[in-house]
Amino acid sequence: MRPIPRSPKPPLTFSGGLPSSDDLVETLLAGRTLLAESPDHLSQVVDVLESYGEVLDAYSINLIYQAEKQFLNPFPVFRFLDGDHSPAKIWRHLLHDRINFEYAEYCQKAMLWHGTGGLDAYLDSEAFAANCAAIVARKTRRDPLLAALNPLFPQFLCELIRSAATTHALGQFWRVMSDLFLDLARAERDGRVDSIATVVTFIKEGLVAAAGAPITYAVEIGGTSFWVLPPEAGLTFLGDVAVPYVEAVFLRGTPFLGTVSFNAQAQQISPDQAQFMYGALYADPLPTMGSGIPPSLLMQDMYRHLPERLRDRYLAGIRGDGDMRVKICMSFQKAMFCVTNAAIAGTFPHPLTTQAPGEQAANRAHAAAWAARLCVARTDCLDDPG
Amino acid sequence: MLSALLLIPFFGALGLLCWPGELATERIRRAALALLGLQLLWSLRVLLAFDPGQAGLQLQESFAWVDSIGLDYRLGVDGLAMPLVLVNAALTLVSGICTRDLSQRPRLYFALLLTISGAVNGAFLSENLLLFFLFYELELIPLWLLISIWGGANRGYAATKFLIFTAVSGVLILGAFLGLSLFTGQADFSINPVTTAQLGMGTQLALLGALLIGFAIKIPLVPFHTWLPDAHTEASTPVSVLLAGVLLKLGTYGLLRFCLGMFPEAWALLAPWLAGWAAVSVLYGSLAAIAQRDMKRMVAYSSVGHMGYILLAAAAATPVSMLGAVFQMVSHGLISALLFLLVGVVYRKTRTRDLEVLRGLLNPERGLPFTGTLMILGVMASAGMPGMAGFISEFLVFRGSLAAFPVATLLCMVGSGLTAVYFLLLVNRAFFGRLAVTPPSGDAVADSRLEVRLPAVALRETLPALALASGVVGLGVLPWGLGKLSEQATTAMAQLPALVAAIQGGGLLS
Repeated sequence: MRPIPRSPKPPLTFSGGLPSSDDLVETLLAGRTLLAESPDHLSQVVDVLESYGEVLDAYSINLIYQAEKQFLNPFPVFRFLDGDHSPAKIWRHLLHDRINFEYAEYCQKAMLWHGTGGLDAYLDSEAFAANCAAIVARKTRRDPLLAALNPLFPQFLCELIRSAATTHALGQFWRVMSDLFLDLARAERDGRVDSIATVVTFIKEGLVAAAGAPITYAVEIGGTSFWVLPPEAGLTFLGDVAVPYVEAVFLRGTPFLGTVSFNAQAQQISPDQAQFMYGALYADPLPTMGSGIPPSLLMQDMYRHLPERLRDRYLAGIRGDGDMRVKICMSFQKAMFCVTNAAIAGTFPHPLTTQAPGEQAANRAHAAAWAARLCVARTDCLDDPG
Repeated sequence: MLSALLLIPFFGALGLLCWPGELATERIRRAALALLGLQLLWSLRVLLAFDPGQAGLQLQESFAWVDSIGLDYRLGVDGLAMPLVLVNAALTLVSGICTRDLSQRPRLYFALLLTISGAVNGAFLSENLLLFFLFYELELIPLWLLISIWGGANRGYAATKFLIFTAVSGVLILGAFLGLSLFTGQADFSINPVTTAQLGMGTQLALLGALLIGFAIKIPLVPFHTWLPDAHTEASTPVSVLLAGVLLKLGTYGLLRFCLGMFPEAWALLAPWLAGWAAVSVLYGSLAAIAQRDMKRMVAYSSVGHMGYILLAAAAATPVSMLGAVFQMVSHGLISALLFLLVGVVYRKTRTRDLEVLRGLLNPERGLPFTGTLMILGVMASAGMPGMAGFISEFLVFRGSLAAFPVATLLCMVGSGLTAVYFLLLVNRAFFGRLAVTPPSGDAVADSRLEVRLPAVALRETLPALALASGVVGLGVLPWGLGKLSEQATTAMAQLPALVAAIQGGGLLS
């Protein structure tokens, strides 16, 4: 019997290109998209953003619920139930048939910890301290536990209020982004969006439209309303929440434990938080679903809301349903580069068509600042492996 | 009843070879699996008929074959052979099941597999020295063919080396058997310690020495082990399973049955040296395993180390250590077969076994998480973790040997500790960290961005390993079944030196 000829085995590994900083600057200044233009990329990005939009909707509702209804609750056991304490809801929660709101909290904590932008500046201001004092005075009148804790740890309740303020602000930010991503999916179905370039433009326009939207937050204690983030603070969507969010979650992130162990004492983690590169644009999608990898929670949540088209695309892969969450993470990273692309495009100081040398130099400096950070990010995902 | 354990595989092999017309590979495989399944069922039937309360050979069958040269067809089973017959049936079936993607000569392949299984059964059940030798040699050629036809790139070298080593082993064993006949002046090749007791100690030592080296090659013990890592490296996964799980046991079985069983006095004299040899073998095997970067060679060297425990137990020859030897034979059969199966799965999926290349295979979505889980279980069992088969056997061996040879036993315990070292190295390198299946390129950033697309492991590919893992845990949690099966035979074997001395002194005759 003759040996049966075997078909050539497919490659086990794939390596995407790694563009240089200069390449990225030229791409950004030319108005080209970071993500390679392809029909596959388009469907991946739109579909994964649609599922992300669904998840952000749930995150947003819950964060706002937590900030308003679980405010200064020392034991927020039911904070993920959005106020629905029915046995059916609790049962589903216990069976983990639910969205992983822990991921939203993880992002909120990253924002609070990195603390950049106008929101953080306000949280350290005198005006905010005065708001806190009024809130704490009212709250401790009715809550003996907090009344006992407050004199012992005078900064404790203020810090909790800062955390609640970030929670609410993130909830408001995600409300806008959720609607934007769901609109994007509709626009793609309508044919208004048919390329990566139009995706980036769509997101950019959405961000610009919401840029000046005010960010405010008030809580009700004993029938009286107290401002935590008053309108007078002048906090707005883009500069005070969106940009700090991108800085904290897309770029810096936190060096979570997972397949890589970090030794801070050996300077494996920079003592300067601004140098952190553990965010979504730097994350390795491969360890998704490994223990201690927080993005796994987001991927599980998106898996629940995956559009049919994207699910079918993933099922056609070599592992089918087996590595769905890694594939979601890969598509999600591509989508996040599109969002970043839109944010960069929306924040150029001058139009890209300008002929004035000074304005061109300013644009170039803006692009170079981003390119310096992005050239060490996971730009390998920007290619289309086909 | 016992003859069926030979007839099923031998006639099955003949049937496969002679079946007229073209047969699709899958049909041949199914037919072979049916035969191997039948053999396993028949082995279980023998187990049901077996009385564990008796120490001697049971269910005996005999007829004179070639009387003039003392070759009788005499079969029997005792507590030493029974577990090995079961292991043989189970592992040959596992080998058959995990044989996939056979690109050439499927008829010959499965016929050879069946022939080996039948020959091994014959060797374990033989009551006649020449009959044992016949079966011992019969498995040699099929195994040589299995390595040299379906092996890896260096299969010619490995198969020839295996053939030369085991042929020398066969010559030494045959020489010892013939020498026994020559010196006793009898053409009686039955297994009888009283016959050898008539010989002078010098003659006994010479014959025992030949047998010892013959079986030491087969086991293998240091320094006769060099054929084994090469054979394993080049053999396909099912053949490695068979080689480690069953064929090496021919050597340890021979050690207990013929060396200790027939020359108890000379054995007792050599025992301290044998214990030392065991310690050297264990330590050498373990240290060599640490130095390996091929997963399969590492598991092969672990076999060299773990076979040393059996020599230690046999040297001590206490009832507990002898029972430990049987446990070690069975547990090593299951554990090493499990490890080779898993290494085979890793190799099939990643196309490499290089520990300098493989990383992060426990990755839950893109790696081989279930294979990794079973591998961790397997290495824990091999390192003697309580709750698994390896612990029971090592504990019995050490407990039974410590009083007789404390230094050698302690050194073997160090070897047991080294097992944890090299297997943790294996698990840490290949299964933890970021998933990688290609050699580092020198650019850490590029490496950390490499997307890995390994095909998934289907359930049917994992089932044989899962069955073996269940056996490993089952034997570790419920060892009494095997203990009950073998205890009478091993206790009787441990008392042989005293028995022979008593007979010689006339104590039992008067």
